[in-house]
This record gives sequence, structure tokens and C-alpha cells, in this order.
Amino acid sequence: MSLEFLSAGAAAPDAVARSPMERQARAAGAQFEVRDGWNVATSYGSPEQEQHACASTAGWADVSHLGKLELQGQGITKRAGLELGRAARRDGAWWCPLTPDRALVIGERPERIPDETGVVDVGTVFAAMTLVGPLSREVFARFCAADLRPKVTPVTGLRPVSIARQPGLIVCEADDRYLFLFGWAVGQYMWTVVDDAAVHLGGRPVGLATLDSLAAPLTEEAARA
Amino acid sequence: MSYLLTCPNCGVREVNDFAFGGEVSARPKSRPTFRELNTYNYFRRNVAGVQREWWFHRSGCRAWFIAERDTRTNEVLSISRPGDPKAPS
Amino acid sequence: MSRLPEQPGERINRNRVISFTFDGKRVEAFEGDTVGSALYAAGRRTFSRSFKYHRRRGLMCCAGNCPNCIVSVDGAPGARACIEPVRAGMRVEHVNAFPSLEVDAMSVTDKSGPFTPPGFYYKTFIRPRRLWPLYEKVLRNAAGLGRLAEEQPEREWRTEYRRRHADVLVIGGGAAGISAAAAAAQLGADVVLVDEGPEPGGRLLVEESREEVRTMVQAAREAGAEIIERGSALGFFDGLVPVWQGDTLHQIRARRHVLATGTIEQPLVFAGNDLPGVMLSDGARRLAAMYAVQPGTRAVIATTSDRGLEAAIALHATGVSVAAVADLRATPGAPASALAQLGIEVLPGHTVIEARGKKAVSQAVLAPVEGGRAGTTERTFDCDLVVVSGGAIPASSLLLQAGAQTRYDEALGHFAVTDTPEHVAAAGEVVGAGPRDAAADSGRLAGLQAAHALGFGDVDSRYAEHALGDAIARAGDRRAPVAVAPAAIGVDRGKCFACVCEDVTSKDIGIGIAEGYDSIELAKRYTTVTMGPCQGRMCQVPSVRVMAQQTGQSLGDVGTTTARPPWVSVPMGILGGPTYEPAKRSSIHGRHRELGGDVRWAGDWRRPYDYGDPQAEALAVHQAAGLIDVSTLGKLLVGGPDAGEFLDRLYPNRFSNLAPGRIRYGVISSDAGRIVDDGTICRLDDESFYVTTTSSGAGAVEEWFSWWLADWGMRVRLTDVTQGLSAVNLAGPRAREIMSAVTDLDCSNEAFKYLDAKHAQIAGVACLVLRIGFVGEVGYEIHFPAAHGEHLWDALLEAGKPHGLRPFGLEPQRILRLQKMHILVGQDTDSESTPFGAAMPWIVKLDKEQDFIGKWALEHYDGEALETSLVGFTMANGYVPTEGSVVTDGNGTPAGQVTSSRYSPVLDRVIGMAWVPAALAKDGAQITISDEGRTTQGVVQTKPFYDPEGEVLRS
Repeated sequence: MSLEFLSAGAAAPDAVARSPMERQARAAGAQFEVRDGWNVATSYGSPEQEQHACASTAGWADVSHLGKLELQGQGITKRAGLELGRAARRDGAWWCPLTPDRALVIGERPERIPDETGVVDVGTVFAAMTLVGPLSREVFARFCAADLRPKVTPVTGLRPVSIARQPGLIVCEADDRYLFLFGWAVGQYMWTVVDDAAVHLGGRPVGLATLDSLAAPLTEEAARA
Repeated sequence: MSYLLTCPNCGVREVNDFAFGGEVSARPKSRPTFRELNTYNYFRRNVAGVQREWWFHRSGCRAWFIAERDTRTNEVLSISRPGDPKAPS
Repeated sequence: MSRLPEQPGERINRNRVISFTFDGKRVEAFEGDTVGSALYAAGRRTFSRSFKYHRRRGLMCCAGNCPNCIVSVDGAPGARACIEPVRAGMRVEHVNAFPSLEVDAMSVTDKSGPFTPPGFYYKTFIRPRRLWPLYEKVLRNAAGLGRLAEEQPEREWRTEYRRRHADVLVIGGGAAGISAAAAAAQLGADVVLVDEGPEPGGRLLVEESREEVRTMVQAAREAGAEIIERGSALGFFDGLVPVWQGDTLHQIRARRHVLATGTIEQPLVFAGNDLPGVMLSDGARRLAAMYAVQPGTRAVIATTSDRGLEAAIALHATGVSVAAVADLRATPGAPASALAQLGIEVLPGHTVIEARGKKAVSQAVLAPVEGGRAGTTERTFDCDLVVVSGGAIPASSLLLQAGAQTRYDEALGHFAVTDTPEHVAAAGEVVGAGPRDAAADSGRLAGLQAAHALGFGDVDSRYAEHALGDAIARAGDRRAPVAVAPAAIGVDRGKCFACVCEDVTSKDIGIGIAEGYDSIELAKRYTTVTMGPCQGRMCQVPSVRVMAQQTGQSLGDVGTTTARPPWVSVPMGILGGPTYEPAKRSSIHGRHRELGGDVRWAGDWRRPYDYGDPQAEALAVHQAAGLIDVSTLGKLLVGGPDAGEFLDRLYPNRFSNLAPGRIRYGVISSDAGRIVDDGTICRLDDESFYVTTTSSGAGAVEEWFSWWLADWGMRVRLTDVTQGLSAVNLAGPRAREIMSAVTDLDCSNEAFKYLDAKHAQIAGVACLVLRIGFVGEVGYEIHFPAAHGEHLWDALLEAGKPHGLRPFGLEPQRILRLQKMHILVGQDTDSESTPFGAAMPWIVKLDKEQDFIGKWALEHYDGEALETSLVGFTMANGYVPTEGSVVTDGNGTPAGQVTSSRYSPVLDRVIGMAWVPAALAKDGAQITISDEGRTTQGVVQTKPFYDPEGEVLRS
């Protein structure tokens, strides 16, 4: 028997995959589009305001549709050339080592996986958001104790940490840009928390169109440089 | 209780990121007497001093590790992963 | 009106008049005023009535330290008028006086002798006990510092936490703190400076020009320091410092700390020392310098140091006529000569022994002090202001919380900080660095040291640090000498308050000592001294002095009470923070709401208890089909070559011999043989198992599994997919037909047997289908990616419509499972329950060759006589006993309890489960249930109430 029942991507065309935050995004004015079987919020109706939030305060986007694979195997972190506390950008995915023997791959499904590695699709175990903007750290400061100052958590910094009293994981994708994961079932709660903190600081939700138009997350070469 | 604890995988975190797993005690290797079994199950040394204890990084990597902590000051003297050579049995 | 002409340091904007109300009357103020300064300017002298005696109290410290000006603002009690900024339209009211501040009925307590000595409540009202509720009501009205509204409106104001990491946290924004922050920030450290004043500057705001202070603050800000103004550091918790500022609680975690918390000026203890018009020297100067309010017209000043002399000069300059200055020192300090030139008489070796007046001070009596007692050559002065300065104690509470030590300093008459822990430095007056230049130097040094310790700076800055350190050492202690005030003086003339918060006089402490409460910690609890709003700021040292005097101990031996957080009073709502409660929700949650589900908490999940009619929902499962969301079940993937053996070691039964595609029930036991959790285990293939746990046990089981895995180091991969998968249970006689409508999977009983697991595409979604029977009918538990929750739920409901399918909630599921006697771990079992007691001996495989968790304990319990056993029972009379009711033995002694009970609509009977004495654990036995006084009879049944042989399940 296979583990196919774990993969949202395996659904037939009429079964669209939905984020746990979809209802809140809709209530906030999101416009949706189906991409790769997922109903994703591409815009909240005002690209200029969304851009402005990302440039001057903070914008957040629901990116729960991102693929997530868990790799488990003896010494996987070392074998995959990873370093604890650091995410590596490879072929459109963040490789995130959690322990010497366990790592998450967030984003594009890798073509090659190290030998003797157990792979589990955890795409819907974790929901995800991206928080962008000069006040993104201030937004986090409202509900997360992680030290995200650039000198402590630089670009590619990886922080498994409690987020709003829930287990979570933060990746610094670029300057003032953070991808963070949390449990799928707390999606609605997490949206409420982020919305409360960010809106108070002048932020707003942004669609994938805005997110895509910003500087893309780093390639591995750029991260090294 | 607001001290910091260092997870061997994730680094320094607030202590309430972790779950406390109690002092490290050795499970009997072979069938114990009922008295030995009860001692193992129910009795703790509860020292005022340095203690080896289990911690689980519940909000982070969700892995167990072992810390040596002074229960009087909450100073953590060392941390190690289970199975590491320096980890206590 | 007592406004002065423009003062160099004034904070008021004379061009902006704003008004507020005090006790309903309109008061005009300038922008920048505090409630206290505005009321004082308007002529008010009585601000509150005291805690026990209802004596008049007026402004004393003007710094938010003492309790004298506590008022309620817009209905919230506990504000200090002297530091509360005025806002247009604010509603300020007095507290603890009835009917008004000026006419307070309870003030008779002051005249009626020793009405409320220490221990008064305990002594007086203990008997008769039945009257205590009455006494309490009266006492609660008589004492207190304000009143909360009985009902609070739904909170509309916002509070938030803000985490701040920093290299250096500087607490206190006086000369030392500002200098420390600037020095560290200039070297590149990330610095936060916290100050609780109206703006940073501390005493400089009073004693220097505001421009000068602002230049210093600007330098720190330009160097990059973040300055948190009007922020109070509440405590020191293992390096974490909560700082309350407005609606925000900053939680600051720094690598180094500089505490520049300064000093607290002390009152003197003499007769009538609490009369309105008796004011600390700093308070009088603050009123004049910052708010341009003249504190009085004619003043008498009593001091133990230069602080009072300087105040005399400053007050004289604002036009206050100074009648006389008593300096307790035999040789008054240097400023005395300046006073002489102004024609102001300074009386060496004198102090104030009594303040007189009805509503406020009208006279002060000065006398020489000889051997701690007042001499006979007293002199009386008319005055409306008595300015006192009884020395300054270090504001060391935060330092002590951080681990600093103190020692009593005979020459200074207070407890001085001796050692501070690593990572924590103290600077400025709190460690005796004064006057102002010395404080600034000490701050600068601490700032440089902190930054250097963290690797900032360069050779030049390190040189500067050493040079500064040397210079400070060379300069030595630059403080002028001080005199130590007597514990209390003039005690035969009137009440001498050691503690104005709780109305504790020096005599009260004496009574406490006489009654045996002769240690400072005991005296504190007995007399409540230091337990009031000032938290020892005004009363710690006076009470220690009284105690030392009366017990004949040295002050060092008396010691101080423990410094505890919070350092300032803080609203509970600020500590409570934001109101969000982490809630887990199934991906189908929105649909449950739309279907009218009664959503409640179930552990940390939000779940529908029912959709309006639990009994009908339960019946639908028997008669047609029901659909329940069971996404909350814990779900673990256990994979790897050792997976089977791993489960064999964790469960009392076997899983290594489970065939792929088959399911087995399992109970997890602890090493003590007690039931921890239960669930089903499905083998997916040779190396992978799918384990479900109870909803509430999911996290604990994952931790339990990974803990043993960490210990055993087996080749096993563990993944918690609880939140990743939705799960629904489709159950009932029509369930098979409904399945056929949504999947091509052959669901015939031959192809898909009870306890089989199959993969299937259902409504286009890849699912794992487990044929299990928790609710007692043919059932398919469907597990699938959470992203498709609503889609699959909708598809099943749609397909089930012609078959009478209806959704059912948690409550009907509880009825259904009880009919099958399927236990709920934690409901029907507790931390003492073993599988034997829970009537599941068949689940324990003691013949398993390898060791498993709980084996030794279960071997011991195997065959041992049980005291109680878990059984089912039915009620003849239709009464549903409360869960938790007591099961009694033949003699009426409690011998067990009811764990579950429900009315079963399909059986039309009340059924339940209970722990009963082992002798009664047989079919037909009568049990007696005592339910809050009502005694009823039940009949034991050991086999499931519904479908006892499981024929329906397997059909």
C-alpha cells in the first residue's frame, strides 16, 4: 500500500485543494485562481496598496499550497549537504534540516532525493504564510519570541520555534521576507493573530501576484554570496 | 521560569518552547522485582543540584535531548542528543 | 491658583487649556499637566482618604511612588494622579471616602483610639464565625483603594505583547542611564533604554534645563538606541524583563543589562507626618519645576542631607518663603552657606517632630535630636508646607530580583547594593554614584563595559573605558555626608506613620513585635507594612528602623523583605495580553457552522457537539447512515525496517504479525501497567504502519513514541500527520450503498471485510479507508488530505441524501460508542486503570517473547485479584446518573464510580459504564449508585448493550 492518501496533489481535477485560511482570505477581499489544483488567493483587489504594504509596512500572503516533503534517514542533513539552522534554496525549494536525521523540503518537489531516505508528503500537515516588509519583524514580535534581527537570523536563517504558542518554523527568505509554517488545523487561528498584529502596524494581506512580483527568494548561489 | 535552553538542533530558545521529560532514569534491563519496578516507576531523586533530564523541543524540531541542569539555579551545564557518546545512559 | 511664572524646565503648554472632571466638577489644566498638578494648581490639597483611618492625604512624592493620590480614572481604579497625564474629558474620581473626600463618615476611626491595631480583623471578627460574611461586607466597604465595576463591559481596548531582543537593556533614563545607553549604542550595540518618567531625564528634568536633558537623550537616540518612554520595568525573570508601556507589554531579552534605577527619597517618621502639605523635597521641586505649580507659600524644611538644602534654595527661588530649615547633621552641608546669604535660618542637629493642622499643615514643630529623642528646646513655625527629605534609598528591587546582594550601610542608613551578577551592571545613584556628573560617568562606564563584553568597540574605546574607570576610582565617593534619621520621633504627640499605604504606625509595629511577630517577614504579614501600593518604596526602611529600635537588633540583622515583581502596579489585562486562544479546527469546520453545529471546545479543538438533535442523529446512524468528522484523531506514520518490532515494544499486543491491509485495536500502557491511550493500528505495507490515537492524546502519544525511539535508537521513522489528514466516519446500514455512489472500490463484505484497510479514490480524492466500528454499525473511516475536507464532506452528504444520511456530532457519537462499551481513555479510565481492570485482558499478550512497555507490571497484575472492574450497567427507572456518581458497596461505602451514562434512543434504556467492586462485575449484579444524595439501583452488564456479538459490525 502506498502513502498516496497523504498527497493533496493526487486529487482529480474537480477536487480543488483549499487552504485552511481560505474563508478568511475571501472575507478580506481575496480573488482566487486555481493553480496546480490549488485554489490560491492571487490578489486582494488593490495591487498598488499591496505593493505599498510590502514596501513600507508589512504584507502577508497565504502560501499553504506550497509543497512540503519530510525526508527522514540517518544523517540526511549531512548527506544532503545541509547545515542545522540554515535553509538552502535548491531548484525552487527550501531544504530545511530539522535534526541530523530529518529535514523538510518546502516548495518544488525535488527531482532527486538522497538514498535510504523515507519521504512523506506533509503538504497539508503544515499551513504556511509569507510575511514581507520592513515591519515584518515587528509583526512577528507580537506573537513570536524568535530573535529575527538580521544579525542573528540572516537570510536563509532557519528557526523552528513557537509561533503564537504553536509549534512552527520560520525561514528568512530574503531581506525583510519570512516564510513560516504552522499546523494546518491552526490556520484560522494563525490568520487571526497575524491579521491583528499586522493591521495594527499598517499591514494588509497580499495576493500571490504581489508576492511573485517581489524579488524572488534566493538561489543557493546568491545565498552563499 | 523564563530561562533559556539550547536545543542541540535549533539553538537557544525560551524554556517554554520545550516540554520537560523528567530526570533521566535507566529502565531495568531485565525483569525487576516488584519493589524495583515501583522504584523505577514512581520514585525520583529530585536533587537540589545538577540533574540529567529529558527535554523535548515541542515547539521546534520535536526531538528529545538530554540536558544537565542545576535545579537550584536553572543553569544548564551541557546538552546532548540521545545516542551521542557523551550522553548519559 | 498657584501657577508660577514660566519655569525653565516646565512641561506644560500654557497655550493649550484642556478640561476634565474630578468628582463631577470641571477642572481646567494645561496640556502637559498631570491630574495631580492640575488639581493642586486649582487649590486641592486632599487627594484621598487613607486605607484604615480615612485620614486626609495629599500629594507627597509627585513621582508615582506613594499611595496618597490614588484615584480612579474613567472607572478604572489604581491611577496615581501625580503621574497620570491629563486628557480632555477624562473622568477622575476619588476612592475610599464616603460620601465625599471632604466629609468622610469613616474618618471617625481615626478618632476612636486603637480601632484597627495590627491583627485587628483576626482578633475581632473571628467569632462568631457565622457572622463573618456580614463583617466582611462591612470591612470591605470600610477599607480599600478603589472599587472595580461589578460588571466589566466586553473589552474594547487592545493589549499586546511585543518581544524585543537587544544587546543591552538599560533600565532608568536619568543621567546614568542615558549615558550608558548612548555609550553602548555608539559602539554599535543594539540598545533599548526604558524610562518610566513623563520623558527621559529622571531628576535632571527637575534640576537641569529641559534642553540640556533633551540633547543628551537625542545623542542616545541618534546612536541608535530605542527609547521606551513611560515604560515601567516590572521585574527581572531570568534575564527576561517585561516592560509595561500603555497598552503594550514589551518582553525584553537582552544579553547585558545596565540598571540605572536611581534612588527613592524617603519620608521622615514624626507625629502627623501624613498631613496634606507634608511633601518630599523632590515632590515639591517637581511640582514647581515641571508644572510651574507653587507647592506652598511658607515652608519649613527638614532634611538629613544636602538634598533638602538644595530644595530650600530652589523653592526660595520660586517665591516660597522658607521659615526655617532643620538639618539633622551636626554640621550642615555646603549649600547651608548659600541659604545663610538668603537670610534663611538653618538649624543644625534639628528635625521636625510634629506637623499640626486640621485639613492640612498649618504649623510645624522643630526640635534638636539628642540620643534619638527630641530635645526640649522646640520651636514652632506657621507654615502651609513641610518639606522633608529623609535620605534616599537605592531603587534596588530589580537588581535584587536579578540576583544582586545588599548590605546595610551604617553611614548611609540604608541597604546598599554590594554585588551584582554577571551580565547585570548597576550604574548611577542606585550604587551611590552621585552627584550628577559622577552618575553620568558611572553610566558611561557601564555602557562601555557592556558593549565591550559583547565584542563591540575597538582599541580606542577600550582605552577610553579604562581611562574612565581610573578617573572614577580616583575621584572616589563624592557624595556629601548624610545623617541617619531616628526610627520615629514625636510618638507621644500623635500618629507617626511608618507606612502610609496601609496606615501602619510605628506603634503598630511595636504591638506586632510584642505579640511575637519579631522578624521583618512576619511583621510584614501581620501588620501588612510594605504590602500596600508603594510596595516598600516609602516604608521599607522606616519599618526596618522601627523594628531595629524596638528589638535592639542592628538594621543589618533585621534585614529587608524579599524583592518581588511586579515593581509597579500593572493592570491584569496587560499581563493577560491578547485574548486569542490557540484553537485547532478541522478543515470541515466551516461546514459544521453552516449546518448549525453546536461548536464547543474539545481539548484544544473546536468541534460540533451536535447539529441540533443528538438523539435523532444517533438513531439515524442505526436506521440509515450518519457522517461524523473525526479529523481530530491523532495520526502517526510509523515506518522503517524496525517499525513492527517498535510497535510490539510499545503495545501489550502484537503488530509485527499484522498483515498489510489489516487493522488491529491497541491500548498503550505505561511501564506501571496503566492505560495511557488507545487507537487502531493499520499496516499499510511491510515497513509502514498508520497509527491512530485519541483526539486528546495525539500530542502525548507522538512524544511518547519519539521518546522511546530516542532511547532505543531503532531504525524507525515517525511522522505526525494528525493535522495533515481529515477523517470522517460514514456509518450505518446504508453506508455501503453510499460508498458505492462515490467510489469504484468494491465495498461488498467479501471484498472489504471488517478491520480491512483499503486505498480508494472517493469523489476524486485519494483516501485511506478503514473499516472499523467505533459507533457499532458498518462503518468506513475515511482519511484523506485536509485540503479536500469540504469537498469530500459535501460529496458524501450529497451521495447520502437519497439514503437518509445525516451528519452527527460528538454527543451522538458518545451515545453510540457507549452502546458498544467502547471505552474513552480518560473518561472511563484514569491514571490507575490497567487493561485487566478495564476488562480487556485479551489485549495483553504476556506470551510475547520480547519485552514491552508495561510488561513487568502487567505480569504482576495478571491473575491478581482486582479490587474494581469496569463494567456496563443499565438503569431500570430511566434515571441518568451524573457521570462521576459514586457506586457504593453493600455497606454504603464508596467503592467505585460511574464514568459514562446516557439515554440510548435505540435501546430506549439508560445505559452506562462504571467501576464496581470486582465481586459485582458479573451480569445481573445489582449496583447501588449514589448521585448527590439520590440513591438508585443499576444492573450490571458485561457485554455490549448493542450488537453484543458484533454481527452487525461484521455484516
